[in-house]
Amino acid sequence: MFEPAIIVHGGFGKFPSESNLKKPLMEGTKAAAREGHAILARGGSAIDAVEAAVTSMEDNPLFNCGYGCTLNLNGNAQMDAIVIDGQTLNSGAVCGALGCPNPVQVARLVMEKTNHCLLSGDGVQQFMRSHGIEVVPDSQLILPERFQEWEQYVKLREEFVNGCGDSQRIASGLPPGCDTVGAVAMDASGNIAAATSTGGRTGKLPGRVGDAPIVGAGSYADSNVGGVSTTGFGESAMKVCLARRIAELLEKGVPAQESAARVLRFMHEKVGGEAGVIVLAKDGNRCHVTRHFISPNMTWAAINDGRITWGIDQGQEESASLE
Amino acid sequence: MFEPAIIVHGGAGTHPSEWKKREPYLAGVKDATLQGHAKLARGGSALDAVEAAVIALENNPLFNTGHGSVLNLKGNVEMDAIVIDGRTLSSGAVCGVRGCPNPVRVARLVMEKTNHCLLTGEGAQDFMESQGILPVPDSQLIVPGMRLAWEKAVLTDKASSLPAASQRTASDLPPGCDTVGAVAMDAHGNVAAATSTGGTTAKLPGRVGDSPIIGAGAYADSSVGAISTTGDGESIMKVCLARRTAELLETGVPAQESAARALRFMHEKVGGEAGVIVLAKDGNRCHVARHFISTTMPWVAVNNGCITWGIDQGQEESASLE
Repeated sequence: MFEPAIIVHGGFGKFPSESNLKKPLMEGTKAAAREGHAILARGGSAIDAVEAAVTSMEDNPLFNCGYGCTLNLNGNAQMDAIVIDGQTLNSGAVCGALGCPNPVQVARLVMEKTNHCLLSGDGVQQFMRSHGIEVVPDSQLILPERFQEWEQYVKLREEFVNGCGDSQRIASGLPPGCDTVGAVAMDASGNIAAATSTGGRTGKLPGRVGDAPIVGAGSYADSNVGGVSTTGFGESAMKVCLARRIAELLEKGVPAQESAARVLRFMHEKVGGEAGVIVLAKDGNRCHVTRHFISPNMTWAAINDGRITWGIDQGQEESASLE
Repeated sequence: MFEPAIIVHGGAGTHPSEWKKREPYLAGVKDATLQGHAKLARGGSALDAVEAAVIALENNPLFNTGHGSVLNLKGNVEMDAIVIDGRTLSSGAVCGVRGCPNPVRVARLVMEKTNHCLLTGEGAQDFMESQGILPVPDSQLIVPGMRLAWEKAVLTDKASSLPAASQRTASDLPPGCDTVGAVAMDAHGNVAAATSTGGTTAKLPGRVGDSPIIGAGAYADSSVGAISTTGDGESIMKVCLARRTAELLETGVPAQESAARALRFMHEKVGGEAGVIVLAKDGNRCHVARHFISTTMPWVAVNNGCITWGIDQGQEESASLE
């Protein structure tokens, strides 16, 4: 028997300290962790737990995934998501998916109903329809705030392209807290799973795929070792195989926190960019859960050893007994 | 100054056993290798060399890439490709792209003209057109052999004993039906990798395999070496085959052994067949190696003034590069 645990993140970001988004994002992240943990507590699988946690954030318009995700350059909600079963290394993922309110659920179906690992674009919609999942119009996925951010981005970009703006303004014009979500869990059988889901970055080129749906970049899971989910500059994570590199260090016995810190430092030095990771490392019949991020903020919440811990700022770790 | 080298593969699988039928595959890979090597010999970059080699294979209707790609379940051609510049770890890739005669070229444009690493589907097509590359109809990409293979796959699916289309492994595919790739090192010591494919016959529309994925279908880092893979794409993705091979190179394991160990791990852990080409840096030279656990894999390498090649297990012919 193993002691189940779960850790969830709601995306890296840069919040002004007085931002009124921090509290609801933190609450949403904790709620997602609790949903996942409830499944573990009743003997459910790690994969059910991470799917539930991520679904909860996809349904929450505050998070950059599912309903409320950021919009691509054309103003559409286009998503990437993955689930990985650490017991078999099977995985399912979707990328460039339009009209999809719960991409993590579709990702799971890809894993369970096909022999493929990743479906893209139109193929995702065809697959959804063939499994009785409604393809919804953008109007059901787009939040007014995201639309405004998109409009602002397009305006700044035009100015930049026309030579009268600058890329810094585009970057700083992006809203806080807008990034990928994920979850990693271990169940009572000692199996580990990971899931990650995102709308990508505001104004991304249509069809742009980031790290989230890529085994070894945005996520990794292996029941012998542990699991990882990442958030941040997708291209940087892809170039260095961020999640896989962390798993490599775990396999060598490097502790979870140090594995995460070393790889993020390597990524930042080698290719630039900021990111955050959550890591679950197996240890006998228990596990260690940790997070590390090199942005100012990342919402995270973990349930392990009868306690819930959480934070959003660098160095912040609140904790309470799980009632 | 570094001694340039290149190694190219034309896909892991089961090629015809008659020499008359298998010779054209080897000839195609040799031609691609020499095209890539010609770039290196004139001082060109590793990136130019791998792109040229893969374009030669995309244009050759024998290979499952570009013209001559396999068809998806709906009878359409959809391709994946990647280039990686080991100097900066920059990369560009496309997946699920249609109407594209040279996906490796579009992959390179993604790297050079955008801040992204991977574009899919319609977005990839729109980008391609924005770069002045006109899409071509499937009729210009499909060869009779691949159409026949598709018909067989789709029809026999309804029958019997053969595995369902989506379950086909590299060994079930028509001969020579798999991903191509190239890795090279140039005179500056920079390495690059490129991989390109039409995927698997009768794959689900939109299915993306390992080829356009950094760490799965390809990997390159000028401080270490470069890798391109071919075979059961899903198996390769699950274990991050290219990255695992690189991890071993980073710990000083020789190229051949790195490839063999990573492939053995993959086969034991998740099943499937695959092949790998590896270039491992060694001072101002490099070692090139290949390993495959499929029946055959045509490969050709140019290194140290010699051209070497093979297609069967354990086969290695060589000649001086005149």
